[in-house]
Amino acid sequence: MEKTLQVLTELEHDGLLLRYAIGGAMAATFYAEPVLTFDLDVFVILPQAAGLLLTLVPLYDTLRARGYAEQGECVNIEGVPVQFLPAYNALLEEALAEARETSYENTPTRVLRAEHLAAIAVQTGRDKDRERVRVLLEQAPLDGEYLRAVLARHNLETRWKQWTS
Amino acid sequence: MEAVDKLSPEIARLIAAKQERRHKLAALPFPEKVRIVVQLQRMVAPVLRARGRPVRVWRLTGD
Repeated sequence: MEKTLQVLTELEHDGLLLRYAIGGAMAATFYAEPVLTFDLDVFVILPQAAGLLLTLVPLYDTLRARGYAEQGECVNIEGVPVQFLPAYNALLEEALAEARETSYENTPTRVLRAEHLAAIAVQTGRDKDRERVRVLLEQAPLDGEYLRAVLARHNLETRWKQWTS
Repeated sequence: MEAVDKLSPEIARLIAAKQERRHKLAALPFPEKVRIVVQLQRMVAPVLRARGRPVRVWRLTGD
């Protein structure tokens, strides 16, 4: 896991990613009780290729050249299946911009803020996302004012009220 | 399911203890939580593989 994060940092340093942050179940685990997952979801801002197309191809090509094989939707980086998820809307772009700097063992890394994880779950809207919101509300140190502003900015207040009332 | 306030004191105590354990788990350092996730993966992987889902247990530093 630590080597995986080191590779992500190298990718960012080399310009193949403009920015990355851990999201999904592992980010939720950062703030709340551990939950089972087999993939490391990594949200990324990609450099724009010619024609303004966002593509994971250069990233995958580089990883393949370094010996990291694709496995379905993931790339196995140092024993951890990593799923790269390009930021595809304003909420994810904001979440990446404001992600929390932290470290894993001795390696610096970045994790989405708990408030953004909650907002992303509301936006995604599946049953498991609703459960994530419940767990984050119960266990994570959420900044209420910050969360309300995120929900308002991205028009998520109605579903938030439905889910939490 | 019966509402918590109608449960016997013993069951209510067990539920409260479970809740407390979850909060203690939530407060662990991140690397310790990742070790727990990997332990969960080790427990669940054989079941999922037997169902035909190819899953991989993560490699942590030093494994």
